[in-house]
Amino acid sequence: MTEPSSRAHRGLHPPQVTRSSAAFTASAAGRVARQRLAQPNGWWGMALFLCAEVALFGTMISSYFYLDFDAHRWPPAGIPDPSVLWPSIGTAVLVAMSVPMWLAARSARAGRRGPVLRLVSFAMVVQGAYLALQVVLLTQDLHKFKPQGSAYASIYYTLLVAHHAHVLFGLLLDVTILVFVSFRGLTNYWLIAVRGLALYWHVVNVIAVFVLVVTLAPSL
Amino acid sequence: MATVITDQGRVHVDRLARIWEERPGILGWLTTTDHKRIGLMYFFTALVMFGAGGTEALLMRTQLIGPNHHLLSPEAYDEMFTMHGITMIFLFVIPMTTGAFGNYLLPLMIGARDMAFPRMNALSYWIYLGSGLLMYIALAQGHAPNAGWFDYVPLASKQFDPGNNIDYYGYGLIFNGISSTAASINFIVTIFKMRAPGMSLNRMPLFCFAFLAVAFALLFALPSLTVAALFLELDRQLGFHFYDVAFGGDPLLWQNLFWIFGHPEVYIIILPAFGIATAIIPTFTHRRMVFFPLVALGEILVAFLGFGVWVHHMFTVGFATITTVYFAAASLIIVIPSGIQLFAWIATILTGTPDFKTPLLFIVGFIVYFMLGGLSGVTLAAIPFDQQVHDSYYVVAHFHFVIFGAAVFPILGGMYFWFPKVTGRMYNETLGKISFWVTFIGTFITFFPMHIVGILGMPRRNYTYPAHLGWTLLNFIESIGAYILATGLLAIVFNLAISLFKGPAAGNDPFEGDTLEWSTTSPPPPYNYPVIPTVSSPYPMWDKEDRERDNRRLARGEGLLELGHETPATTAQDAIWDEILKMPSHSVWPPVTALTLFGVFFMLVMAHYWIAGGFLVACGLTLIGWHYKGVRV
Repeated sequence: MTEPSSRAHRGLHPPQVTRSSAAFTASAAGRVARQRLAQPNGWWGMALFLCAEVALFGTMISSYFYLDFDAHRWPPAGIPDPSVLWPSIGTAVLVAMSVPMWLAARSARAGRRGPVLRLVSFAMVVQGAYLALQVVLLTQDLHKFKPQGSAYASIYYTLLVAHHAHVLFGLLLDVTILVFVSFRGLTNYWLIAVRGLALYWHVVNVIAVFVLVVTLAPSL
Repeated sequence: MATVITDQGRVHVDRLARIWEERPGILGWLTTTDHKRIGLMYFFTALVMFGAGGTEALLMRTQLIGPNHHLLSPEAYDEMFTMHGITMIFLFVIPMTTGAFGNYLLPLMIGARDMAFPRMNALSYWIYLGSGLLMYIALAQGHAPNAGWFDYVPLASKQFDPGNNIDYYGYGLIFNGISSTAASINFIVTIFKMRAPGMSLNRMPLFCFAFLAVAFALLFALPSLTVAALFLELDRQLGFHFYDVAFGGDPLLWQNLFWIFGHPEVYIIILPAFGIATAIIPTFTHRRMVFFPLVALGEILVAFLGFGVWVHHMFTVGFATITTVYFAAASLIIVIPSGIQLFAWIATILTGTPDFKTPLLFIVGFIVYFMLGGLSGVTLAAIPFDQQVHDSYYVVAHFHFVIFGAAVFPILGGMYFWFPKVTGRMYNETLGKISFWVTFIGTFITFFPMHIVGILGMPRRNYTYPAHLGWTLLNFIESIGAYILATGLLAIVFNLAISLFKGPAAGNDPFEGDTLEWSTTSPPPPYNYPVIPTVSSPYPMWDKEDRERDNRRLARGEGLLELGHETPATTAQDAIWDEILKMPSHSVWPPVTALTLFGVFFMLVMAHYWIAGGFLVACGLTLIGWHYKGVRV
């Protein structure tokens, strides 16, 4: 016996609906991903977390300009204008890693584990190199001026280190997800994680551009 | 109409009960991921915090009952008003509304079996508990934060506040913010993705719209506080100069960042009250809310506009007139969405057949105080007037009418309203009404004279006052009012505590409520609903045919999802059934992760940075454990 189906009650019959958590193989998980009408919960969770992160960086960048507009000279006397070349190259390379991350998310939705592992590993190596370059640049800056020297130095280092912390956190996510996808397989759970990871990096990359432009502003 | 269980249905219900059975004993509570248990833990913790914040208030009122009293030293008084503010805002109202009411009721109202992220939900609670403990450890040691809940620099800088009092504040609030951010993400995803099939956004109860608005406001407001507190700690502990004029910093940066968070925070406090009001009013007036779409929009607009008004807390700092006038105008615009809601509540009560039981009485009290507090708010938006009464008791009167009279009254009414659902027993109606009147009158006597004493020039936050200024009688009346108010609150607790053991059985739906939670048993089973409910309006309990349909589906064994901890996920807007999710059950990781984070923040307060780093690594390891076990991944 079936109920008369109305617009209000469509899709009420469980047999038509996927039990997505039961997708334990890459192909099954990929099929579930392609059948979904809406974004999964994990994707939403990451998207909203990133909203908070964007608000966090937005506040720091606003603070940077708030202090800038107060100042007679920005950066203050004795601090050289920030160098443009290496940070720009580094950021360009980092931002380019959105491409392999996007492809990894696409491969995940297609249920192909091999390309996911290769693409995320490649991006991870480059992102790691970016972080190493940034640490070197930061150390060089620290030889020239200390964060305790002025409000400019305080916000400059805080903004950069906050960004680096996000890159480091992304690298830890890369490693964790690579390990789990290698050993557990591309299950529904880890497929959503790969999509979340890609989203994370896209947003970190956009933030990277803003952080670069802001910190280089005195030289531009 | 409540669920009727036939013999065929009984088999399914028993099976669900086995699948969803909670672990017994204290371990069950420690490792639970059930939104109702987490809601109850939030409730009792927040209630204890309410007691602590109330005790601090009573100590201050006792000090001020007459001139030149020295019950508290000036230093102790500073700690009292600071901890009173922090406790009531961060440790009582937000956890009580989003944590307790939101957690317990929201999944029930949308017909879900749990929150979208059950383990993260537990983590939110344990972090909240940890942040509360952190700040009360400070009080126990005599190092409580002491520069006001707004914590203005330079008073809060290392130079003028050299102890670690303020470090407890800075790290305590960052820690607490993690809990609220996680909770708000959880609420938004739950509301967007976990609604019962058929509950499209326009069929969602107004209570849920209010909580959606709150969650978004928290998500975007908290980062500002986090950044402000981070800058403060970098200044204090590592010698940075964000707020130090001598090195190019600016103390007004703190004020701006704090109030960019602080004003949305006011609406974060009041919006759940709106939500509770819109749940109670239709039930006791036996009619649908008037202007449903406008009320829903009003709730969201209040949260949105709240981000553009923060400078009205700073009219005396010397901004250009054009700036202050803009913010005064923006502040007045809030009158429009608030007014729409106010008139909608009143119109619903007037055009319905109101039954003034205790919960509705508290809502009427809320409307009265919201109006009074709103009107004094309008006066404060007038810049010249604000500049005269700034930092006087007039401001204290205004915001206590709003955040006690208006924000807490619906919490108290909600405690009565949902008591039968949560416990299965009825409260005592006569004592309930008495407790309302005592609380209502006590609130008025405590806070109304503050308007007058403020206009007479009595400044806030002074630990005592001299005898000859004409403030003595009014202060005496205020303090007596505070004791009456405390009596009223104790009467509520007494009523509910006695009813828990002696109250008559309530049944599933004692008030003929309109939302889904009344269809399930009291208290609800761990799986909430045996069949995933059918929904075709925002008042599903008044759609009799839908409830009868659910009973037939239960008898047939349709829509049960009995292969594990299962619940449906739907599309964000139309709530079309998209997939079936298997939710994690009990997990040991949330309390363990929260414990490592407590270690991180406690060690940061103590300036043991390497140990804090060690705890952070441990926290990362617990997260790996978190994903390693639990749900089958």
